[in-house]
Amino acid sequence: MLTYDVVVVGAGGAGMMAALSASENKNLNVACLSKIFPTRSHTGAAQGGINAAMGNRDNTDSPERHFKDTVKGSDFLADQDAVEFFTKRMPEIIQELDYYGVPFSRDENGKVAQRPFGGASSPRTCYSADKTGHVILHSVYEQCLKNNVTFLDEWFLLSLVVEEDECHGLVAMDIKSGEIHGIKAKSIVIASGGFGRIYWNRTTNAFNMTGDGTAACFEAGIPVKDPEFVQFHPTGLASTGILLSEACRGEGGYLLNKDGERFMKKYAPDKMELAPRDLVSRSIEMEIKAGRGFGEGLEAYVLMDLRHLGEEKIMERLPQVRELALDFEGTDLMKEPVPIRPSCHYMMGGIHVINPETLETPVKGIHAAGECACVSLHGANRLGGNSVADVVLFGKYAGIGARKTAEQRSFSGDTLLTEKATEWHDKFHTMRQKEAGKSLVEIRNTMAGTMWDNVGIFRKKDEMVHALETIEQLIEDYKETFIGDAAIRYNMAFVNYVEIGNLLTLAKAVAMGAIAREESRGSHSREDFPERRDDEFLKHTLIYKEGDDYRLDHCPVSITSYTPEERVY
Amino acid sequence: MDKFIFHIQRFDGEKKWLQRYELPYEPGKTVLWALTTIKDDLDPTLNFTSACRHAICGSCGIKVNGHSFLSCKTSLDELVARFKTTALTFEPMGNFDVVRDLVIDWKPKMEKMKKVNPWLSPASHGSKSDGFIQSKEEADAIAKPTDCILCGACASECNQLDVNDGSYLDPFIFNKAYRFLVDSRDNAPDARLKPVVENGLWKCLHCNECVTQCPKGIPLTDQIAYLRQRSMENGERNNQGARHAYAFHDDVRSKGRLNEMMLPVKTDGVVKTVTKKIPFAYRMIAKGKINPFHFPKKIDGIEGVRKIYSENEKERV
Ligand SMILES: Cc1cc2nc3c(=O)[nH]c(=O)nc-3n(C[C@H](O)[C@H](O)[C@H](O)COP(=O)(O)OP(=O)(O)OC[C@H]3O[C@@H](n4cnc5c(N)ncnc54)[C@H](O)[C@@H]3O)c2cc1C
Ligand code: SF4
Ligand code: SF4
Ligand code: FES
Repeated sequence: MLTYDVVVVGAGGAGMMAALSASENKNLNVACLSKIFPTRSHTGAAQGGINAAMGNRDNTDSPERHFKDTVKGSDFLADQDAVEFFTKRMPEIIQELDYYGVPFSRDENGKVAQRPFGGASSPRTCYSADKTGHVILHSVYEQCLKNNVTFLDEWFLLSLVVEEDECHGLVAMDIKSGEIHGIKAKSIVIASGGFGRIYWNRTTNAFNMTGDGTAACFEAGIPVKDPEFVQFHPTGLASTGILLSEACRGEGGYLLNKDGERFMKKYAPDKMELAPRDLVSRSIEMEIKAGRGFGEGLEAYVLMDLRHLGEEKIMERLPQVRELALDFEGTDLMKEPVPIRPSCHYMMGGIHVINPETLETPVKGIHAAGECACVSLHGANRLGGNSVADVVLFGKYAGIGARKTAEQRSFSGDTLLTEKATEWHDKFHTMRQKEAGKSLVEIRNTMAGTMWDNVGIFRKKDEMVHALETIEQLIEDYKETFIGDAAIRYNMAFVNYVEIGNLLTLAKAVAMGAIAREESRGSHSREDFPERRDDEFLKHTLIYKEGDDYRLDHCPVSITSYTPEERVY
Repeated sequence: MDKFIFHIQRFDGEKKWLQRYELPYEPGKTVLWALTTIKDDLDPTLNFTSACRHAICGSCGIKVNGHSFLSCKTSLDELVARFKTTALTFEPMGNFDVVRDLVIDWKPKMEKMKKVNPWLSPASHGSKSDGFIQSKEEADAIAKPTDCILCGACASECNQLDVNDGSYLDPFIFNKAYRFLVDSRDNAPDARLKPVVENGLWKCLHCNECVTQCPKGIPLTDQIAYLRQRSMENGERNNQGARHAYAFHDDVRSKGRLNEMMLPVKTDGVVKTVTKKIPFAYRMIAKGKINPFHFPKKIDGIEGVRKIYSENEKERV
């Protein structure tokens, strides 16, 4: 049986930082497993930047201010002990990344350049033109190669093997050969990214952002925390949902309605376009609802205008953004405004982490970091530039935590691992043989449409209840689906089948959490409960899966420095 | 035009075949749209890789009618206009091992990439706790090469890789070596220069195919030229490649242009050329890459060329 001291699931920013820091102990055997080749991971799509109070551009900036902005941005749902831990250490991490070779853009003093971002009181977003995530991903990958981390490329996590809150390892498929293996491990870091694909095409997320690790933890008894908080990014391209970075607004882009009006002055007179994402997305949708957008229904949009920045600035700071608009919307933003509409972007919720310094979960041996996890750093709304920061920082500490866990635990669970691997092997065999059944694509599309229409930017009880019922029906239909590919080698139909199962599992948790939270907070905006209600809902949602049943529970928010107040921008 | 016709190369690990699919014509669609629509609606057994769908993850490269493209950013309308047909052939990229259908294997490429030590060897003026100071100009030098998304289109098009025994470095690996060589934060030039010289730096055929197909516009051949120059400055003169460079110099001086047919002889000597290069040349000729009947004449204005040389030589003294 394959055996590693530490197995990291995921090779995005969080996974590779974890693998890198775990591999600092040369006596440990560390493997990093990823369903796609590491540099394909979605961290590479992050354009705009990474927040750290370096004070390079504004020397009055400080980790305290970053702390305060993040808590306010989170609509006071973030755990303040975690936020403080994070903001204090971010400047060091940027220096570390610089030392790993990340090609940051520089200021006139040769220091890492910084730009303004939504919801920040100071220009603290470090960047590399508009390819920040890409260069971080590649540089950290290079460092992992240097440290001789074992990469299991195109290996797919199927499930975690847990018994009485102790983890023994995992079951995974080597996609290229089609073999299914039990893998024994003393500790595991789950860093499998988000699950924006519950909205399928109406998302900025890659095809594979299906929440496999979050679902595997959920099945293994770890609750999902705050799944109802889904971030919709204001500036997705109108026709495809592909993201135009927040850097567009950061650099000074305008949002215009059909009357040519900069409508943000009605919603955030102070911050205008630089208000946080939840607010800007809602403002755009309100304009569209009021008939001040272009087009109708799902096709409606507003415009983002960058022309006044000038060609030189656009080419220097936003060259990729320009190319994206050209290639995918056919618009040259140096010459005309570009059509945009909000698109599902990020999951604030995720695997319940119980200690922000070690990234432990309630199950012994399992740590989690990055977008799949909920520390909770982002609370009810994440600030732009805080996620890549989250993945590198908490990825690093998850690696250190997992290293310590591995040093203390021994290998166990051979029989159970073999049993679970055999179960999956049989399932693969059955699905390969099955020749008819319900259409998987139809199930997927119905899920996405239902979630977008009923558990999207604006929410109401009856619509969400309808969504929940639909998802439950789809979960039944899923049991009768088929994949249509009998091959063993590189059977993506089977992989997609497991992924869609995971999306359904998580979509149900999102709907449940959203129905139960009878208030509006951050990204969760209830038409039937427009106010934030701290007396009743200043708490985290926890959803447990027990067999086929979901159980709702809560846990308190850690409030150390800032007492909740009204959030105005 | 009412429909697209696609001939897609299939491979199941043992046998290869071309399979035909049809989709109703829709304007403004990409190659990736065609692949996902075929998989969703027509044939779940078709395999390809893709992730970001906006030209940043590098996973979706394939060959269309013999040329490599990122399928997510390549428009079907443009291909139809370029190839003047609605029948397009999709194949996996060249110079990679194929896993299944259009899926290729990157693992061996990464093993090869390790030869150039593809990671920063931090110079002593920086530290893990304070990072580095790097000027805007210094940062500019690495801006372009770090755009590479490891999509492999350059390797797929590379004529030297096509005929080489496997040691030749893929263009994106030269890019990686270059990227560290010109980084002001790096202190290990030899760790890049030695391996590139030992792994075919002088074998590049200047065909420029890599540059033409790179979706990120990375100037790969300029980088190869730079690596050659740096390696010669570094004292790597007495190798085959450097001799090749001098042969090149002599040709241009005497005739004002390059005699491709004679270059191997001057570089390797007659015996080696006959035993080693002729079979290679045959393959090149067969593929139409070089024209064996082309013997350069003096170009007009050769006096001018010679003058440039002698001025240049005067300056050096
Ligand atoms: C278009 C876009 C732009 C963004 N821009 C910014 C920005 O400018 N600033 C910012 O701070 N944030 C940004 N974000 C958010 C941020 O990029 C992501 O939240 C973050 O990169 C997630 O990193 P991660 O390491 O958690 O996961 P990912 O990078 O998504 O990696 C997930 C990894 O898990 C692996 N995996 C998943 N499932 C399995 C399985 N079953 N088996 C094996 N492996 C598996 C995948 O292969 C992958 O390697 C952006 C997001 C998007 C979509
Ligand atoms: S120019 Fe050189 S590296 Fe580029 S494709 Fe041609 S032979 Fe290969
Ligand atoms: S150099 Fe260009 S073509 Fe080659 S892998 Fe990089 S991005 Fe792709
Ligand atoms: S899908 Fe990512 S580059 Fe095409």
